[in-house]
Amino acid sequence: MSDAERAVERVAQLRQVRRYTEAERTARDALVGDPQDADLLLELSAVLLSLDRPAEGLAAAEAAAAAEPENERAHRLRGLHLSRLGRHPEAVRAGYQSVTLAPDEPYAALGYATVLRKSGRLADALATAQRAAELSPTLVDAHLILAEVHDALGHRAAARASYQEILRLEPDHAVARHDLAVQDLRGHRAGAALRGLLDAGALDPTIDVLVGNVGAVLWRVAYFLRLGMIGATVAVLASAGSGPAAVRVVTALVLLAAVGAGVVARRRLPSAAPSALVAALRAEVLLALSYLVLAAGFGIFVLVLVTGLGGLAVLNWAVAIVAMLLGVGANLVRRARRP
Amino acid sequence: MGDAPERSGPYSEPMSEDALLTSLLAAVEANPDDVPLRVHVAEQLANQGRMTDALRHCTEAVTRSPGDPAALGLLRRLSGELAGPDRAAVPGSGPPTAPDAPAAAEPDTSDGSGMFDWTSAEDQVADLGGKAEAAPAQDPTGGSPTIEDIERPTVRLADVGGMAQVKERLELAFLGPMRNPSMAKAFGKSLSGGLLLYGPPGCGKTFLARAVAGELGASFYSVGIADVLDMWTGSSERNLAAIFRAARRNAPCVLFLDEIDALGQKRSRLQFNAAMRTTVNQLLYEMDSVDSDNEGVFVLAATNLPWDIDPALRRPGRFDRMLLVLPPDGPARRAILDYHLRDRPAGKLDLDKVVKATEHFSGADLAHLCTSAVERALAESMRDGRLHPLSTDRLLAALREVKPSTGPWFATARNVVTFANTDGTFDDLAAYLKKNRQL
Repeated sequence: MSDAERAVERVAQLRQVRRYTEAERTARDALVGDPQDADLLLELSAVLLSLDRPAEGLAAAEAAAAAEPENERAHRLRGLHLSRLGRHPEAVRAGYQSVTLAPDEPYAALGYATVLRKSGRLADALATAQRAAELSPTLVDAHLILAEVHDALGHRAAARASYQEILRLEPDHAVARHDLAVQDLRGHRAGAALRGLLDAGALDPTIDVLVGNVGAVLWRVAYFLRLGMIGATVAVLASAGSGPAAVRVVTALVLLAAVGAGVVARRRLPSAAPSALVAALRAEVLLALSYLVLAAGFGIFVLVLVTGLGGLAVLNWAVAIVAMLLGVGANLVRRARRP
Repeated sequence: MGDAPERSGPYSEPMSEDALLTSLLAAVEANPDDVPLRVHVAEQLANQGRMTDALRHCTEAVTRSPGDPAALGLLRRLSGELAGPDRAAVPGSGPPTAPDAPAAAEPDTSDGSGMFDWTSAEDQVADLGGKAEAAPAQDPTGGSPTIEDIERPTVRLADVGGMAQVKERLELAFLGPMRNPSMAKAFGKSLSGGLLLYGPPGCGKTFLARAVAGELGASFYSVGIADVLDMWTGSSERNLAAIFRAARRNAPCVLFLDEIDALGQKRSRLQFNAAMRTTVNQLLYEMDSVDSDNEGVFVLAATNLPWDIDPALRRPGRFDRMLLVLPPDGPARRAILDYHLRDRPAGKLDLDKVVKATEHFSGADLAHLCTSAVERALAESMRDGRLHPLSTDRLLAALREVKPSTGPWFATARNVVTFANTDGTFDDLAAYLKKNRQL
């Protein structure tokens, strides 16, 4: 085995254990002795892809492609780097070249599908991702890109099936668990979404959107609480004409239902839920304010129960309006922040 | 020594020792690859008692020409002298240290605080670790790459500036029971198992591990991923087994596994990587010590990413004790700043102000800060041709450019505490984040 071959193996190994800086150094040191070694250049390019340095990674991949024009991996990596640089037409051409050179290579199909998805050619990306999954049914990344493309096309059931397939193959796949939780949130299953996000966080706490997505779950819950509060207010106001006793009975039922729902939810949620919910509330002022306002609504119901004055429930209209405005405000802020 | 003046050329005037050294140092700077010259300079420096500088030049010489017998001989002599009188007195280890020569590894008490400059010590020990102080291998098979790096550290916990809390925890959780085994046994405290040091990068985990070895009077054997991972299937496990075997032979010994997250990463992520899975399994097996007794082998490990470690590694008997090593506290920051600002032209510095402004900075960040401030002062001096010494304001101005690198680590740490601390593993971290209002 030559020095260059040994270095290639070493870089691949370091990449596997996510020691990218060391891997880059090893590759660059070895390239000093053999600057045209395509395999070394490709390992370096792959490391730079992981380090998200597409301009340098592209240079390495292009040098490898120049040394070995028939090397499928060189064109695959070129495509991926070009795609990250936003040069989509060139990226698609490079990806196509890669699958032309190795039509039965699942990673070539996977790379091409990634490039196609980023360039917005979702139908082509779907067909290519399916081909990648056919070529290697246990290739988790193929199912992940398949799920993402299905999701982008609005095929929720198919996306869900792909995420579930990933979790069957790799039960601790944090990204799949997270994305499935996002699907649950979109499907108005807030409890399942929160459980999924907490699981994903326990599996891989480095996912940076976790707290934000827990916040999204809380916004969804706040929406339902608002609707519930409006319904309860209507019921209390309707009972106001029947005297204080009727008002008290209806309000007591409302409060019991609210407390009961809270207890059940707490029991069903994992033990990490409180800290995650607190973190989400701390991260978003508008969300915290929204829950404070909803707590004020709860307080108004307690006041009605104590005084028997059903008319006080009118105040909850104001509470509902403020809570709604806070929700709208949060949406606007989120849109403004979106790149 | 040094009485006979040396000439740098046929017509040069006799020079004093300082002038000679200055000229030699300039020559080395002009010809950095001239190994004999560098060795000569190192000898001169050693003769003048400037052991740290001598060691630096000697190490450079060995790096440039690893087989040079003169450089190696001098390196052996210097390391013997630096290791203290015990080692220096070993016959054949070189001439004894001059009685008035300052010992390079002694605590630097120049600031009057009695704090040891741990960064300096770490640098020195780092040099000694791999090359200078490599103890002769006791392995009868010889040539094993696994035991050549064994050293016997001279640093102690008292040499670590600041970090009182970490030292106390280390004493209570690890060193105390090791020193008082019968008492530990009476209280039902197990002596088996290792200690995992975790925290943001650049905060002195390796140095602390060396200090633990120094406290226990044990050899220190540092193992990195390069010592274990091998491209051939089965080789990584064999390497790991050989490392533990060597450690057992050299007991009492602190076996320090650096970047344990790479060697012991979560097996659930390695479903399709059989080679790495078996490496993790081997590590678990060695920690359990089913076939062999780990008596006298104190296994320490360090990681920046404790959340990436296979949970099985944290079970009782393995790394069941965890110690959070945080960025240097005030006294430690002061010691680091003192070290990096030594020998620099400086006016009256209010280091307390700088220490206050550098909360969450790692040792490396502080070094960067000092370098930036020095560069500014130098640029200004060159602009108007007169010396502008370093000042507190310049250091504080450099703070606008240098931000603590520990930020991303703490961002992840927040998520860890929020989502992955159901069993209380990271309670220390949670308490720190809460105290600093980051949670």
